[in-house]
Amino acid sequence: MAVTGESSGQLALRDPDVRLMYRVRDDEAGAFAELVERYQHRLVAVMHHLVGNLTEAEDLAQEVFLRVYRARKKYLARSKFSTWLFTIANNLALNSLRARQRKPVVPLRTTDSGPLGPRPAEQLVRDPGSGPMQRIQREELAELIQQALAGLNERQRVAVVLNKFEDMNYVEIAEVMGLTTKGVKSLLSRARVNLRAALSSYIYMDGAPVPVPEGDEE
Amino acid sequence: MPSNLTEKDRADLVAFLDGELDADASEALEAKLARDPAARAEVDQLRRTWELLDFLPRPEPSGNFTHRTIERLGPERTAPQPKRRPFALPRWAFGVGWAASVALAVAGGYVGLTLLLGSGTPRNEPTEKDLVRDLRVIENKRLYDLVEDIEFLKDLDHPDLFGEEPHGS
Repeated sequence: MAVTGESSGQLALRDPDVRLMYRVRDDEAGAFAELVERYQHRLVAVMHHLVGNLTEAEDLAQEVFLRVYRARKKYLARSKFSTWLFTIANNLALNSLRARQRKPVVPLRTTDSGPLGPRPAEQLVRDPGSGPMQRIQREELAELIQQALAGLNERQRVAVVLNKFEDMNYVEIAEVMGLTTKGVKSLLSRARVNLRAALSSYIYMDGAPVPVPEGDEE
Repeated sequence: MPSNLTEKDRADLVAFLDGELDADASEALEAKLARDPAARAEVDQLRRTWELLDFLPRPEPSGNFTHRTIERLGPERTAPQPKRRPFALPRWAFGVGWAASVALAVAGGYVGLTLLLGSGTPRNEPTEKDLVRDLRVIENKRLYDLVEDIEFLKDLDHPDLFGEEPHGS
């Protein structure tokens, strides 16, 4: 979270990760390894949600840590350490996603079933009354959701991932992405509407009744 | 029935779900939702869509991730150094510092005292000790005044000038 009017020393007192980063800055033995240990799970998970590939996610996460290390001597806490870390991660991920767009890889659409017939998820769509939650596997649903996420533009995707998986509020996301909080609000709103459109077939798969507007009940 | 939500309403709705709407705006939105069943259905869909994201796996990094990351640093990595203490000085430096401080204080005191007592004994006026040392010169000052220079005085002391007195006369 952006913390205005708070000195670097006060932040260090409040944020243990800032203190750890100061130890990295001072080349204290083992401090960098401790930092990597502490953040690797979150960073790899976020990168995986953004790029959809574990190997690439690990490469990007490593690059984030390398940049942190290279910038250590200039480090001065101005906000929470995680905000700074995810700002670097955001820049790297956006560069990677844009580079990928320049060299597009044609994704296999779920409707491109090939000679083996429809996949279970497609079967679910074609046969909605056959107890979909019993038929569809969790991994397949995850794949569909990952595709819906990949269908968002890069900035919407980053905002969604930071909000959903890093539990960042709008102010923190704005700082990481270099936007206003109003811009983040708009970005997240459009992202969630797009996700709803992409996943509308799967929203009520758990058997919960679909809410019917009162005017349509009769 | 499609909801009559504008884009701004929808943004407020998402912010409401995220707990980012202030109290007044939340109250106004809740009143609107109470009147508009289509809007309520939309809120429900947005909320459920968001919950679907929980199905995404959260992959763990490989077991040797930290090791590989540190290896990638390669030559950039500096040798581990002991924790640096702020303003760490060798122990002897403190002793030297104290000695220098004391010497400075003494010197300063002496200069100050000299200046303070500057109106005391004039530098050219002989002290009592000087007078004792030079007593014999002072007693014979009248004679010394007759002497033109020190070489003449030495010549007077030379035995050849007046001849030696015969022994036993």
